[in-house]
Amino acid sequence: MHYLLALILSISFLTTTAHASNSSEGCDNNSGCIEVGRWDIGIALGYGEKSNPLKDFDDIPLYAIPTIAYYGDQWFFDNGNIGYTLTEGENYTINLVGTFSTDRAFFYRWDPSNIFLLKGNSVERATTRGPTIMAASSEPEIDTSELANRNFTYLGGAEAFLYTRFGIVKASVAHDLFNVHNGTEAQLKWLYNIPLDSWNFEFAAVLDWKSEQVVDYYYGIRPSESPYWSEMYQAESALNQSIEFTGQYVLTENWNLLLVARYTDIADAIVDSPLVEKDYTTTYFVGAAYRF
Amino acid sequence: MLSLTKKLFLCFIFCSVLSGYAVADEDEEEPLAASLSLSPEICITSADEETCNTEVVLGWELLHDRPICILSDYKELKKWCNSSPDVNSLAVNISANKDIQFVMIDKDTHETLAGVKLKVTQASSPQVRRRYRNPWSLF
Repeated sequence: MHYLLALILSISFLTTTAHASNSSEGCDNNSGCIEVGRWDIGIALGYGEKSNPLKDFDDIPLYAIPTIAYYGDQWFFDNGNIGYTLTEGENYTINLVGTFSTDRAFFYRWDPSNIFLLKGNSVERATTRGPTIMAASSEPEIDTSELANRNFTYLGGAEAFLYTRFGIVKASVAHDLFNVHNGTEAQLKWLYNIPLDSWNFEFAAVLDWKSEQVVDYYYGIRPSESPYWSEMYQAESALNQSIEFTGQYVLTENWNLLLVARYTDIADAIVDSPLVEKDYTTTYFVGAAYRF
Repeated sequence: MLSLTKKLFLCFIFCSVLSGYAVADEDEEEPLAASLSLSPEICITSADEETCNTEVVLGWELLHDRPICILSDYKELKKWCNSSPDVNSLAVNISANKDIQFVMIDKDTHETLAGVKLKVTQASSPQVRRRYRNPWSLF
């Protein structure tokens, strides 16, 4: 948590010279608002990489990040998330929302999380390291090419935003809608937006909680995959911690330069899985973004 | 001898005929002595520009030729008069941020003959709302 604390403290100094974007002022590519009834479509081209914490799975190179959103008076679609605004005031918003888990993206190329994060290669198992996990010399191996399906599911729940002078606080909770894992995810996020002339910086600190069912479904071991590890690894609920940074420089009305970075500290309950070899995942992307 | 019901019925028919005749008589209005038209009638400014810049054309028809004057609350056209029966339109360059009222009067009697209004309206700004996701979120 040290880096979260450091981030919060450092950004607090900036509060004297900048203010949190509360979205209602103007609506260009650099602000947190969107025109009602109009599709917002864009694509960022450049290079980046999303590290894969799974054993035997390759990191994911990034060449393009599309964005697509549509906001009606109350309904909205935003990069795969579907929501309905129940109530909104000057300082708060409460939405019903449908979203999806990001964990499956480490296993499958065409997971929706990866659709909005196009990449050059699929999420492939690394061939240079062999097709199996060598957990320990005395422990049985898991053939990662024979893993059972981790199916896609959609989560439905609610989210609330508080808009304060110290940034935006988001709290959300969502439950599996399709009985895939019957799990629940919750998120607490703090983000701070600093517009400076043609620049816009957004910092965020995120806590992602996943119930035992979610962790077990994605990172647990089925008896068919390894009877030994299905007994040895018992999934528990997990709390991932992330920091995010998005920097944009406005070149023209349509073109922005873009730098996006994210670091996630993966919870021990997940790292303990024999499928996972890193206790963190990083993502970065540098490029130019075009909004149509 | 007519029954009371029939008397009332005939009375109703008779009164209806009279009233219909009277209404028809009221509907026969005399042609207007003059008419004034404007094209265009509405000037829409862009959302970020409040001023309407356009050329409008005033046109008029008179039942009887007579000298007229056109008055307006537009600063560049306080009063314009014409006595020629061959002239029946006037082009005016407008730069305004509010409605303009034009009135045509008889030059000699100052009788008001007709009037039109140019409506200046600002295009409504697009409605916006908060966006709840960073468009470039990497999840």
